Amino acid sequence: MNLFEKIFNHQIISRLEDSGTFMVTSHERAWLKTMLDHPAAADAFTPGTLDKLRSILEPDQVMDTSRHLIEKARSQEQQVYHPLLRPLRRHIMNKTGIRLTYQIKSGRVNTDHSGCPYKLEYSMVKREWYLLWYHTRHHAFMRTRLKNIHSVAAEPMEPSMAEGILKKLGKKLDSRRSEAVIEIIRDYNEELSRILYAFSSFEKNVEYDTENDTYRVRVSLSADELEYLLSKLRFLGKRVRVMEGDYLKRRMLEASTKALDRYGVISEGEELSS
Amino acid sequence: MARESFDKEIQFLRMLVLTSGAFSRQQFAERLGISVHTFDKTIRRLKDVVSSMHQHLPQEQRKELSETIRFSYYDSADPLLLFLFRAKSVKESESQRISLLLGAMNEQALTAMELLDMYCGSLSPGLPLPDEKTIRSDLKYLEEVGVIKRESGPRPYRYRIQDELVRSLSDEELMDLYDFVDVMANTQVPSVQGYLLRDGLKKHLLRNQARQHAVEPFLYKYHYYSRILDEAHLFTLLHAIRQRRKVHFLYFSPKSEQSYVARSTNPLFERGTEGKTEKTLPLKIVYDHQYGRWYLLSYGREGIRKYRMEGITQIEEDESVNEAWYEEKKHELAEKIRYSWLIDTGRPVTVRARFYNPEDSEPNFVKERVRLQGQWGQIVMEDEHSFLYEITVNGTTEIKPWLRSFGSSCEVLEPARLRREMIAEWKEIQAYYESV
Repeated sequence: MNLFEKIFNHQIISRLEDSGTFMVTSHERAWLKTMLDHPAAADAFTPGTLDKLRSILEPDQVMDTSRHLIEKARSQEQQVYHPLLRPLRRHIMNKTGIRLTYQIKSGRVNTDHSGCPYKLEYSMVKREWYLLWYHTRHHAFMRTRLKNIHSVAAEPMEPSMAEGILKKLGKKLDSRRSEAVIEIIRDYNEELSRILYAFSSFEKNVEYDTENDTYRVRVSLSADELEYLLSKLRFLGKRVRVMEGDYLKRRMLEASTKALDRYGVISEGEELSS
Repeated sequence: MARESFDKEIQFLRMLVLTSGAFSRQQFAERLGISVHTFDKTIRRLKDVVSSMHQHLPQEQRKELSETIRFSYYDSADPLLLFLFRAKSVKESESQRISLLLGAMNEQALTAMELLDMYCGSLSPGLPLPDEKTIRSDLKYLEEVGVIKRESGPRPYRYRIQDELVRSLSDEELMDLYDFVDVMANTQVPSVQGYLLRDGLKKHLLRNQARQHAVEPFLYKYHYYSRILDEAHLFTLLHAIRQRRKVHFLYFSPKSEQSYVARSTNPLFERGTEGKTEKTLPLKIVYDHQYGRWYLLSYGREGIRKYRMEGITQIEEDESVNEAWYEEKKHELAEKIRYSWLIDTGRPVTVRARFYNPEDSEPNFVKERVRLQGQWGQIVMEDEHSFLYEITVNGTTEIKPWLRSFGSSCEVLEPARLRREMIAEWKEIQAYYESV
């Protein structure tokens, strides 16, 4: 299998698009057939559709990639599909309102709260699905784990109102972004590639100071991403240093101080016992 | 003709994504080991591919290349680097012919002669006419890649496009299929074929009145965006593994500044390169979720070898080896990496760490994360405030960043050396911020 097939050429693809022709190669079918073996397929399709797909793909090959590929340091896959994905994605598509009953952090259950669904978000770190939605009465942007949703029903909503909310949400998400600047300590420039990989899941720009041979990463992120950035900063440890972003600096100081406290107390105890 | 290589484009795009905006043209070219002229040419070529893939965008939306492939989370779940796999060069006349043939077979099953007639009829006068042989070889190619199917029946054979996948599904079912492909391409590896399929299905849905809004209901958080670039080598290596063949390539260690060098026909010019020619027997491929990077594990003269996929260029297959011996080496490797957090094959050590539960928060996100990411490690003891986690790993280098990422919620107990290293490192980090 060669991924650089002639048939995938951009000119061919755009010409086919013009003539309205759907084209699929055996590579793609083999991939799909392999994925249908994943348990997630059972939640993604009705049993009838799944049978149909399996019979269409019957003559195709299955990829043997998994025999030669090992995935390391992967979060345990809790959930690839969630049964609520199918109904929710249809509500999103139809721009209808929804009525949700869901559990919040304290364990309390909010019953029949009205809102407008925006997108479904999967966290690669937590390996789980969230619904991003707008809470009509609280005028709030919400992120709710699908596993905390007890029930959901469609509720009529004026199309103009839905449009308005979705537009507002888009703007709001943009305006909640802030910036942080992180410097890569020069002694670790050799590890540049690794460090930049670690930041590659953020929206960012890199600045290079030729004179001092120093790299700085300017990360643009929303408030709810700060925790994840902090875990990355601790992950990289002394290789990086926050230059701009008071909250991040304070949290890094706090983390190191508290960590040293932990070690301090216990290391004395150890010395006594050994 | 030598097989077209995309090493330069891959290295180029990776650098663009990782260092977005850091380098001037000159610096960028230097680091890639190419001339500024070649740099400009590569950018032009990639831009061509991008703009033809997004030809329906109004002019003002066609951004600069670096802008186009900038990561922007809430915009779309489209993998923008996918266009790399659209870059295989095809002659203008050929792309025209193939798309026309496919268009014709979309509506009905046709014979080679009927296709030839149809094709000749649609050409503007003055253009050279293709012969039957050309059409037959096109059909052969299209059948090979599974795009068309020969219908059963007597000669002359009839061919039609193989599109049962969309033709036999209802609109509802197509939507489910599109979603499934989207989710699996984004959450599983390998993903490139899935993304290509997603692209085809998406266009099909949009043609059939679905609105843009309907085809982008999902977002994926914290993706390693450049990971799909390395899938380019994946299938070459898988092929070599299946055939038990050695491969050779020019390797650039990620620590070297340069990441590519133009293939030169004059051996005199090869002296200056930092890359190293390696010949090795591929055994396994590793995808590291911690950074979104790929590795090749192989067997060479010095024993087990590890290569970062991003450093591999000019890869080619070599001779095959004896099956029994190959199995032995594979087994040897499996034993050595059994306790690798990532790929370390060093001596196994037992790491013990105490994790502290968050004080006033439910659910216990510390424990949840340890359970999710702690691989084969076990929670061996628990009390009200903390729990003990134990794992046997090859060396401590690879697990250390993960332990440190928990901040003060994790205290390493053993081995003592790792504990000392952690303390030293937290001291350094504290010093960075003490003056704040």
